[in-house]
Amino acid sequence: MDLWQLLLTLALAGSSDAFSGRETTAAILSRVSQSLLSVNPGLKTSFGVHEQNMQDSCVDSSKKPKFTKCRSPELETFSCHWTDAVHHGLKNPGPIQLFYTRRNAQEGTQEWKECPDYVSAGENSCYFNSSFTSIWIPYCIKLTSNGGTVDEKCFSVNQIVQPDPPIALNWTLLNISLTGVHADIQVRWEAPPNADIQKGWMVLEYELQYKEVNETQWKMMDPILSTSVPLYSLRVDKEYEVRVRSKQRKSENYGEFSEVLYVKLPQMSQFTCEEDFYFPWLLIIIFGISGLTVMLFVFLFSKQQRIKMLILPPVPVPKIKGIDPDLLKEGKLEEVNTILAIHDSCKPEFHSDDSWVEFIELDIEDPDEKTEGSDTDRLLSSDHEKSHSNLGVKDGDSGRTSCYEPDMLETDFNASDIHDGTSQVVQPQRLKGEADLLCLDQKNQNNSPYHDACPAIHQPSVIQAEKNKPQPLLTDGAESTHQAAHIQLSNPSSLANIDFYAQVSDITPAGSVVLSPGQKNKAGVSQCDMHPEVSLCQANFIMDNAYFCEADAKKCIPVAPHIKVESHTEPSFNQEDIYITTESLTTTSGRPGTAEHVPGSEMPVPDYTSIHIVQSPQGLILNATALPLPDKEFLSSCGYVSTDQLNKIMP
Amino acid sequence: MNIEASPWKGSLLLLLVSNLLLWQSVTPLPVCPGGAVRCQVTLRDLFDRAVVLSHYIHNLSSEMFSEFDKRYTQGRGFISKALNSCHTSSLATPEDKEQAQQISQKDFLSLIVSILRSWNEPLYHLVTEVRGMQEAPEAILSKAIEIEEQSKRLLEGMELILSQVHPETRENAVYSVWSGLPSLQMADEESRLFAYYNLLHCLRRDSHKIDNYLKLLKCRIVHDNNC
Repeated sequence: MDLWQLLLTLALAGSSDAFSGRETTAAILSRVSQSLLSVNPGLKTSFGVHEQNMQDSCVDSSKKPKFTKCRSPELETFSCHWTDAVHHGLKNPGPIQLFYTRRNAQEGTQEWKECPDYVSAGENSCYFNSSFTSIWIPYCIKLTSNGGTVDEKCFSVNQIVQPDPPIALNWTLLNISLTGVHADIQVRWEAPPNADIQKGWMVLEYELQYKEVNETQWKMMDPILSTSVPLYSLRVDKEYEVRVRSKQRKSENYGEFSEVLYVKLPQMSQFTCEEDFYFPWLLIIIFGISGLTVMLFVFLFSKQQRIKMLILPPVPVPKIKGIDPDLLKEGKLEEVNTILAIHDSCKPEFHSDDSWVEFIELDIEDPDEKTEGSDTDRLLSSDHEKSHSNLGVKDGDSGRTSCYEPDMLETDFNASDIHDGTSQVVQPQRLKGEADLLCLDQKNQNNSPYHDACPAIHQPSVIQAEKNKPQPLLTDGAESTHQAAHIQLSNPSSLANIDFYAQVSDITPAGSVVLSPGQKNKAGVSQCDMHPEVSLCQANFIMDNAYFCEADAKKCIPVAPHIKVESHTEPSFNQEDIYITTESLTTTSGRPGTAEHVPGSEMPVPDYTSIHIVQSPQGLILNATALPLPDKEFLSSCGYVSTDQLNKIMP
Repeated sequence: MNIEASPWKGSLLLLLVSNLLLWQSVTPLPVCPGGAVRCQVTLRDLFDRAVVLSHYIHNLSSEMFSEFDKRYTQGRGFISKALNSCHTSSLATPEDKEQAQQISQKDFLSLIVSILRSWNEPLYHLVTEVRGMQEAPEAILSKAIEIEEQSKRLLEGMELILSQVHPETRENAVYSVWSGLPSLQMADEESRLFAYYNLLHCLRRDSHKIDNYLKLLKCRIVHDNNC
């Protein structure tokens, strides 16, 4: 609360000061001071003095005389000076008097003595000569005016030492630089005469300052004890000013500055350097940068590949094993995806939960297989005895696409067990399918670029295939066989030492898929024996492809507007591109009359890993579900299972 | 026999050498036997060292006093209250240059030694008391410790000088007794602060005195009044 009062009163005082007379202000201020003191007693002493001063000054409307300085120049005498009173009022102030006392315990009571000399030190001063001066004894002095103490001060003489300025400054030339631009000089002076240096009563320290005549800022040197000091590196063509001041070594206060010494150096040469040499940093930087830029451009645009490679090393082209860069360039993403999927790490989550879903691994580029004997022969030799499971209900989830209508295929299936005769019966239906195939083929003929290879024998081959078809059908009693596969099988050994099972010739009702050995790419003539499309397709493929990648198969599928083809291939692609859909393969091989392959199923193709039956020479029937999970090696490898691995699994 | 005697010889030699070394390290300043013509350390060097020490002590005292004043007693007007009540006032020290010139060398030196001796005890107590203060001001304490140590060294040096310049001088134990310890330990804060103020003020003054006296003496003795 008191603080608020204070603030209010202060504000009032401040405002009132502008209007009212000073007396009112003084009264207000005195009240303020009192309240302040009540708040904080600690302010008493300092504030009291100020208050006193303010009051008096305000009351007297004149400035009080007070001590400005007390000084002892040589530690033997001292003098005190004060400001004169400024009179505004009418009344004549009395003479100002100075009283002093030496605070000496031995003297007992303090008695104030008047100043012994008001004159010697000038106006408004008091001079104490050596008899009145005691060095280490505290003095107190006070100014009085009209009997009232105006100012008071206490000190010891050793604290107020301020030596006189040095005298007799002079300079001498030390040397001039070889260029004639700079010179060194030695500045000398003498100690103030009243300071008793010789007896050691005072020890002085000097500070020298110098500057050019035009400058405003003085340069300072460190304090020195001697009375001469060299100044180095002054410019010859400029004039300098030098001044020195001294102080007692132990005290803080410097004395006054000496008189200024002008230094004008003799000019030896008529020529004067205008400016100091400074290193042309800017020019160097500019030229350096431009030179570097030029060099850089030269290197960049130069034909010299070596240099270019040094400076801008080429970024390595991405390489994935097994992928032809041309493949990437052509933008055939399906093949790329297929290959990538094969080489890629497994996607176990896809089939980890489905224990019955297993992969068929396809070794596309396995050189070992080349050296082995014909797998087909091996298979055929061993598996001739195998019986063929009756293909029951057609597996709906084969995902086949074909030109064939589902009805036809189903009927074909049902009729597949029949021997020749049935097949004969089937034939017309197959013919129909063949017709469809033909339509496809015709389209193929129209669209396929490689059709030209064997145009003449295209149809006959197809028909031939069809003709050959019932034979294997009858022999193994399978519902259907892949005609092209038969054709292909006709010369299996002659064509390749390795047979690959690339085509799903049939799908049993139980859900197993019959794989037929594929064909190796050989001479063009042999190609004509086989299904031209297939062979031609193969010609475009990697040589040792055991199985048709779906991508490859799709490639062989000409741009058929068959929606079914597309649609059926789609889901297969969605799952894994490693699966050959029977649809795609059937369409690829151009099976005529393989109507038993029912397209239209959208369900995903099951994975086949185990050989259920070897329908020699048609192919293998792979079981989808029957066998348990084989060893991990099986699963870990993506893609198709090689025949070796199949052999491992199958006894 | 040689084999038996050699370990004894070695130990005897070792003892001798160690004794010599011990005798060597008694005094910090090299010992000049009184009256020796050629001394290891000249009087000039001794005085130079003494002046350096006294100057250093005075600087420390001034700093210590100003720090104390700024921190504790600023604006209290103690200076006006500080009477000339230093305990060394009893010593007849010259108060100005004329008096200093009139005093004899021997008396002067003895006086300086007496002043230094008088400050041994107060400095010791000052250090102890400041150390025991709560929130002991580190700057003041470190300076007090340094002053105490340096003034001991200066005392030794002065005694050495005295023995060199006036070897016949008896070892006089004149010094002022300081009895200000109770005032330093007073309960009243203001009185206690004033006691400290007084002590530090006196220390500054006396260190200045000693410094001045030594410079005078140096110029008088070494340079023959022609510094």
